[in-house]
Amino acid sequence: MTGQTSGQTHGQTAGQTRGQTASQTHGQTAGQTSGQTRGQTCLLIAVLLALTTAGCAWRSAATPPSNDLLIVGYDREPDTLNRFTTHILEDIQTCVVEGLTTTDEQMNVVPLLATDVPTSQNGGVRLRDDGGMDVTWKLRPGVTWHDGKPFTSADVKFTVEAINGPNYNPESTDGFDRISSVDTPDALTAIIHYKEIYAPYDIQFIRGTLPKHVLDGRDIDRAQDYNRAPLGTGPYRVADWKAGEYILLERVAHYWRGDQYPKIRRLMFKFIANTNTRINQLKSGEVHVVALVPWDKYREIAGLSSLAVHKTAGNAYEHVTLNERHFPPFGDVRVRRALTHALDRELLTKTILDGLAPVAHGPIQPVSWAYTDRITQYPFDPARARVLLDEAGWKVGPNEIRQRDGRPLAFTLITQAGFAIRENMAQAIERQLRDVGVDVTVQLHDGTAISAIWFEGRFDAMLHWWQMPSDPELTTFFAADRTPPAGRNINYYQDEALTRLLYASDRTVDREERKRLLHRAQQIVADAAPEIPLYSITRLDAVPSTLQHFKGNPTNTGIFWNVHEWEIK
Amino acid sequence: MRRSLQALPLLLVISTLVFLLIHAAPGGPLAIYLSNPNVRPEDIERLRHALGLDRPLWQQYWSWLAAFAQGDWGYSFSDGRPVAARIVERIPATLELVGTSIVVALALTLPAGVLAAVRRGRWFDRTTTAVAVAGISLPAFWFGLLLQIVFAIGFGWLPSSGRATLGGGDLIDHVHHLVLPVTVLAVVQAAAWSRYLRGSMIDTLAQPFVLAAHARGIPARAVILRHALRNAIGPVLAVVMVDAALLASGAVVTESVFAWPGLGSLFTEALARRDYTVLMALLMLTSTAIVLFNVVADAVHALVDPRIAAA
Repeated sequence: MTGQTSGQTHGQTAGQTRGQTASQTHGQTAGQTSGQTRGQTCLLIAVLLALTTAGCAWRSAATPPSNDLLIVGYDREPDTLNRFTTHILEDIQTCVVEGLTTTDEQMNVVPLLATDVPTSQNGGVRLRDDGGMDVTWKLRPGVTWHDGKPFTSADVKFTVEAINGPNYNPESTDGFDRISSVDTPDALTAIIHYKEIYAPYDIQFIRGTLPKHVLDGRDIDRAQDYNRAPLGTGPYRVADWKAGEYILLERVAHYWRGDQYPKIRRLMFKFIANTNTRINQLKSGEVHVVALVPWDKYREIAGLSSLAVHKTAGNAYEHVTLNERHFPPFGDVRVRRALTHALDRELLTKTILDGLAPVAHGPIQPVSWAYTDRITQYPFDPARARVLLDEAGWKVGPNEIRQRDGRPLAFTLITQAGFAIRENMAQAIERQLRDVGVDVTVQLHDGTAISAIWFEGRFDAMLHWWQMPSDPELTTFFAADRTPPAGRNINYYQDEALTRLLYASDRTVDREERKRLLHRAQQIVADAAPEIPLYSITRLDAVPSTLQHFKGNPTNTGIFWNVHEWEIK
Repeated sequence: MRRSLQALPLLLVISTLVFLLIHAAPGGPLAIYLSNPNVRPEDIERLRHALGLDRPLWQQYWSWLAAFAQGDWGYSFSDGRPVAARIVERIPATLELVGTSIVVALALTLPAGVLAAVRRGRWFDRTTTAVAVAGISLPAFWFGLLLQIVFAIGFGWLPSSGRATLGGGDLIDHVHHLVLPVTVLAVVQAAAWSRYLRGSMIDTLAQPFVLAAHARGIPARAVILRHALRNAIGPVLAVVMVDAALLASGAVVTESVFAWPGLGSLFTEALARRDYTVLMALLMLTSTAIVLFNVVADAVHALVDPRIAAA
């Protein structure tokens, strides 16, 4: 498995051999043969020259983007195209399988295969006296699966039953497990009966539905025909999946929005896991689209006239989690506030992120309807930080590190290895906190290892981000009872009032009332500073400058949500 | 044959060690799910059970071993497809890349190694020494990216990565895609092998039988190629065979840099996703390949040097 490194060892051995035989030169032989070997040397040079010339003759196979073929450089090969099973982003799937709703470029939930998003106002949502709720979905008429069979409410019902059933292993059953039953009074109406009030009901079917006529009675986990080439209602179907190389999508003949859509005939997703290679392919024109360009690659491509790099305010925030169970000094609010004051976040974003991402002040980002900026903020103020740490009893010790009761204020900050921006950010944090007498040691772990470490709570502090759902639910991140394994409260922050507020917001369907509750929750979180928010993610998506109707998307729905409109001009 | 049989207990020990090692690495196949807030603890537990990861480790190992021994490699934890199918579909790409690289590397090694030995200390020797040292020390990923920047972005002559153009796939297109990754692999291998051959040749040229051949008036070219090289190549071939075994199971770094759809990139992906079944199968294949190629190397060595067979 280590083809490249083995060469090095052999090289050393060869060197030793040469050393041992150095005294046994045989000058005579070399002299006699020089005339004949000169000819061989010339031959070798001629071969190399010929190869180079041949290279000139074969012009690169880079094809410009066109309405016939658009090539996307994709960072990994999907595990499966079944949207309910996959655990990676669903960019490819959104072109094939459509949800009842989707999220638009403003992060609004908008109808797709439903005629409307059900609300209390339009009668689509009814709260029952027993504490449950009923959501009525009206399906768009005239929509057919790619095999020509009509898309109906029976498919919605089948999807719920398959996901809740014992024989299928979807990635998540969130929300579905609160559904008691589904009624289908007619082919275009599905009534979902929830056992309890569930606020994010509007994105319950954002991943689409499973076709009943294909999957009924089958082992879905092993239904490779569907999982590798799902039957959908979207503008494209899977034409080819070459393992390790690419997935090719081809437009369907009669898309329900009209035969003029989609405008681009074929989409190719090339799997290029290596970021440098992916960006190189973008620069050489071998791929035309790269989503989520790393910020440190922005300068390499910003000047290319063939490309347009779109910036979209994202729905994720980078922050430092402070695990107060593992490192008890974080349990003191003065310490947490001091650490937040001690970081010059404006400087960090300006230098490390090239000014591409704005400073964040809390877990809900400006792109969300639930966002408020009327919260406590912690400007860069090292003097204030020192005062707060003094007040908390952490006095400067002999080696400039603060201590209390003979113990230093020293902790480990873990973050993901091989992610240049995070590594730089972690080092800058270490430096800035050192200035106020806090000793930080940075530790790097690979992406998979780090997930296991935080899930077990075995760390002091962690630099990372959460990609937030489009629904602004905070419960899993901050409720007192949602520490792992029950959730993602890895600050291990405990606040009963906040917990009650968050659960109340999850059970509130009225938008304005829920907004009020979430504003209050954001204020409590800001005051308590259980973690240090750093910056709000900005998505960078590179597309051809000739591409029309690109809109972008701040959520995990991804940039392909309106791919049917895309057109090369 | 006897050596092949001796290899079986060795492979069994390797399988145990490898199994323990990959399970000791932090994070399992489910770790990747954790970063999605919609995946709840109930979901993790359900999936853990469905994949059999909630059983004691020795049970997991035993059921893997029992199935593996009967040729059932199980299903990938990542995409649910049969492991054997996932591996088989990657083999042609790796053979194409590695086979070409070995041929090119040998084509560079033979003249470079022989000439450097014959003209020891002269400009050719010094140049190839410098190039070889550079080749041995070049990190493959860096060299690969450099080639991409020069030949794909700069001159636009060659595709930067991948195996074929969509709808292409004719011979020219394949060769086109092979040039850069083969250059990386061949240069790195030839750098090491040519050093070996040079050392071996110098040893041989110092032997009395070479002097005797010269004294008999045999032309210098014939002495070098027919007498000396034949003797010198044996030990080098052994090294080549072992390297070939390692390469045949995937040139991990080069395949990753060039998005080459072979076993190496499958390994990288499986490692990142902790796809235990795929990892186990790939590592067992590698171990088996090394053992097999060692046996073959012995046979080849005996063929070129009859003294070995007699021993």
